[in-house]
Amino acid sequence: MPKLIIDNREITVPEGTKVIEAAERLGIMIPRFCYHPALGSVGACRVCAVKCLEGPRKGIQMSCMIDAQDGMKVSTTDAEAVDFRKHVIEWLMLHHPHDCPVCDEGGHCLLQDLTVSGGQGVRRYQGPKRTHTDQHLGPLVAHEMNRCIQCYRCVRYYQEFTGYEDLGVMQIGSRVYYGRFRPGTLESPFSGNLIDICPTGVYTDKPSRYRGRRWDFERRPAVCLHCSLGCHVTVSARYREVVRQEARFSESVNGHFICDRGRYGFPYVNLPERPRSARVDGTETGWEAALKIAGERLESAAWKTGPQGIAVVGSARCGLETQGMLKRLADAKGWRGPVFDIDPAAANVRTAVSRLDSDLRVSLREIETADCIVVVSADPLNESPMLAPALRQARRNGARVAVIDPRPASLPFQFDHFPVAPDDLAAAMAILIRKCADKEPLSELGKTAVRSLRGVSDGADIPDADGLAALYDDLHDSRRPVIVCGTHTAPPEIPGMAADLALLLRIAGPRAGLFYVMPGPNSFGAALLSDPALSFGDLVSSIEEGETKALVVAESDLFGSGIDWDRLQNALNKLELLVTLDYIDSQTTRAARILIPTLTAYETPSLSINNEGRVQQSPAAFRGGDPIARTGGGEHPPRAFRRDIPGREMGAAWTALPTLGGRNPGSAPVNLTAWLGDAHPALTSLPESSDFPPDGVRLPLAENAGERFQTDRFSHGEKEEDALTLLVADSTFGTEELSSLSPILKELTPSPCIQIHPEDAAEFDLSTGDAVRIDTGAGTAVLPVQTTDRIARRVLVIPRHRDLDDRLPRERRTVLSKTAIRKATEDA
Amino acid sequence: MSDALESVKALADGFATTFKHLFRKPITESYPEYKRPLPARSRARIELTRDPDGDERCVACYLCSAACPVSCISMQSAEREDGRRYARWFRINFGRCIYCGLCEEACPTSAIQLTPDFETCKRDPLSMVFEKEDLLVDGCGKDPDYNFYKYAGVATPVGGKGEHVNESKPVNVRSNMP
Ligand code: SF4
Ligand code: SF4
Ligand code: SF4
Ligand code: SF4
Ligand code: FES
Repeated sequence: MPKLIIDNREITVPEGTKVIEAAERLGIMIPRFCYHPALGSVGACRVCAVKCLEGPRKGIQMSCMIDAQDGMKVSTTDAEAVDFRKHVIEWLMLHHPHDCPVCDEGGHCLLQDLTVSGGQGVRRYQGPKRTHTDQHLGPLVAHEMNRCIQCYRCVRYYQEFTGYEDLGVMQIGSRVYYGRFRPGTLESPFSGNLIDICPTGVYTDKPSRYRGRRWDFERRPAVCLHCSLGCHVTVSARYREVVRQEARFSESVNGHFICDRGRYGFPYVNLPERPRSARVDGTETGWEAALKIAGERLESAAWKTGPQGIAVVGSARCGLETQGMLKRLADAKGWRGPVFDIDPAAANVRTAVSRLDSDLRVSLREIETADCIVVVSADPLNESPMLAPALRQARRNGARVAVIDPRPASLPFQFDHFPVAPDDLAAAMAILIRKCADKEPLSELGKTAVRSLRGVSDGADIPDADGLAALYDDLHDSRRPVIVCGTHTAPPEIPGMAADLALLLRIAGPRAGLFYVMPGPNSFGAALLSDPALSFGDLVSSIEEGETKALVVAESDLFGSGIDWDRLQNALNKLELLVTLDYIDSQTTRAARILIPTLTAYETPSLSINNEGRVQQSPAAFRGGDPIARTGGGEHPPRAFRRDIPGREMGAAWTALPTLGGRNPGSAPVNLTAWLGDAHPALTSLPESSDFPPDGVRLPLAENAGERFQTDRFSHGEKEEDALTLLVADSTFGTEELSSLSPILKELTPSPCIQIHPEDAAEFDLSTGDAVRIDTGAGTAVLPVQTTDRIARRVLVIPRHRDLDDRLPRERRTVLSKTAIRKATEDA
Repeated sequence: MSDALESVKALADGFATTFKHLFRKPITESYPEYKRPLPARSRARIELTRDPDGDERCVACYLCSAACPVSCISMQSAEREDGRRYARWFRINFGRCIYCGLCEEACPTSAIQLTPDFETCKRDPLSMVFEKEDLLVDGCGKDPDYNFYKYAGVATPVGGKGEHVNESKPVNVRSNMP
């Protein structure tokens, strides 16, 4: 632990700390352009110069390049160092264009800050400026190469950190150019981070181009709601609209970066079709009045049918407060529910939540330190994008990464893919578990584990079964293995087996970790708080049988459930009362008798629990209400003086729910954390919102020893040789509920297709580019074929797509007979 | 003795001056019957000027609104079809403006300029709120020459890459020739 003196202040730092970091710990920000904590040092910009007065090195040194050493005495304010930095900035500004007024970086530009603080107000150089042409990099990132100062941050981030190769550096000397090698859109789904990471205005945010200056925005921390990881973001809002989002540093979740889905998924808040006024039987009504009418009608429904004739439904995108309030309401009134698991994968999530104990779970950041990772039944890039860079960092540190999944997984680094069909996933996991159970000192537990696998084949017929066995050896020999398990398309036994494997590994030696990927941002909360005795399918049946007559649906689109659309629509038509509370326009809000618009998580403080059981808080970014675009009819803000915010009557869903129960709204509980504890014991000790730690709090999770190794999980019949399994998969853009409403991401959404193994394709006389007619059971679709040998045999994968929504099965996994697909010929 | 003489002289001088002025024509001008021409630098009603080519100068950079000590300027920046950044709307609340001139000083394009026209009293406060169409004038105001887009590096119809004042041709990244 070297001890050094910086600007006459002493500090002790860990071995290997750079002087620039050591100074930062003292609160001294040495100027920097190329250094970035996530990317490390390259010494390209020379602006971090300091003077070493005593110690192993003397004179002007680059503080990002030298390690802190014992006996060093460093001055950041020495005249020679200050003069050096001043000159560096002047050189960097030689060719800089006269752009600040029309540059979106202006106001939060590192170059601007350093130029001003270095006293470089006037240009002395009078010669001609070097210029560059710009590239069109797609819908997200604008390019203005003249402004570059050659710090190399963009390439280091793009190529080294996220592993994409299409953007890089060309030319030499003062001609150096950063851009794509070929014209076209940036390939990385993490490209938005270029905007944050470039210290100048070369890469700026295209969707919010020229929309305002940072100092005019209401900027607040928030938590991304576009997958279960819950990355940290910073929201910028102006005139009651969200304008832009940036990545926010989080020590335990996402580090410095976020994915483009998270960055550009926000426009659902601003959409003109967003419901903003309450509706009762098709007529616009005041918000409070509509709530009261809903409360009265629910009361009279309860009179007629008894409280059990009413049910409440929520979803995995409801905040924890709303979920808790739904449960409180159902409990207090004797209504049925709450049902949150409208997602077909919800049963898997419940298994995952019950199996994730405090010992086993790892955070996203901890994955970066793992040395052997097995990803089961998950497709990181498409389901939880930021998981992919985390895996890549582990790989860069030398970890082995293996993916056991039927889909044609692609990841921006080298990994082993075992394309195992869904029916064989259990057998593949059994290979790993059986081998683990053989090891000492697992004698008793190992036997139980093996016994539990009765009925699971030995997996000899799985392609590359030997490879899996060898994978186990690597797992066993590693120091910190992590099992990553998906829940979206996994067969029901897989989440439990993943936990079994992690548990056995831990006893067999290495400190194994477990990481589940879940379908929704607050799936965890939904699993904790939902009524385990009532599934959504049962609820729909009970509507059909006339037992359930009224439904309260909070922030949930029932048409995203596993139920066939026609059946669901008929069931909803049978209801006497459908009360929907939501902030997006959906089929469910359109079907509602009483529609109560609600505030989004940007406009009201909200809690959510991410996939590892971390409760995170995001404060309100701005006060909701009609944006100027609406009140002023587009071009102009209205010319009127008024004190109140137009359209500000609506509230958060959880504040509306007590009124539905017939109580007056004043009796809503004030102390949130106290009553959440009533909803579920795990939520008892949540901190007050004012002292919520920045990285949230991890819920204490009890070990569920009783649920290990359950033999009855395996209820498979015989494999049908002639059948095909259709997987309805997610993709990075366009399938997640809220971000798929984003007009920004429309252009990046892949067009519909069907993926199939070339040998299976040959059987149907198909090859890439052919069209295939497929009868999915829910409808018929004609889709272009993509053959890939990275997919499991006898498996068809169709990424979900909004154009196909009504023709794809609602289940994520369906067994089709071979007659369901045939080549679509021209005339057909 | 000489002290006394001097005092008397001083007294006499003073009275003489007063006496002289009694017969001078007064220089007081009665406003509003007579409106005195004010120097161009006087600070009153603000206008948005145009560049010598006749296009709007303001690039909606928000510097004037940031500099304004009473926050009476608001605007919305946007991108025009041809790539020029401009103000979609621009509003000054003259009911609040203290005519300090800081906005003019902050403006990098010479767009916003104060004029000597100080007679902006109105009865209805809303009529003191000027919109862009009220502010925009034809002409360059006090700065007859400057055209920001001739100097900036961004491509607009005023100049493409390498065509602005004192710029070399864009680097050809596909060639190693200097
Ligand atoms: S484009 Fe930006 S990040 Fe890349 S080298 Fe230039 S200044 Fe640095
Ligand atoms: S990985 Fe998930 S939580 Fe993170 S930014 Fe992307 S969508 Fe949001
Ligand atoms: S003159 Fe002063 S108070 Fe008036 S708009 Fe300009 S900066 Fe604001
Ligand atoms: S400072 Fe000048 S260019 Fe910038 S917004 Fe104000 S008037 Fe327009
Ligand atoms: S930050 Fe040290 S050389 Fe760039």
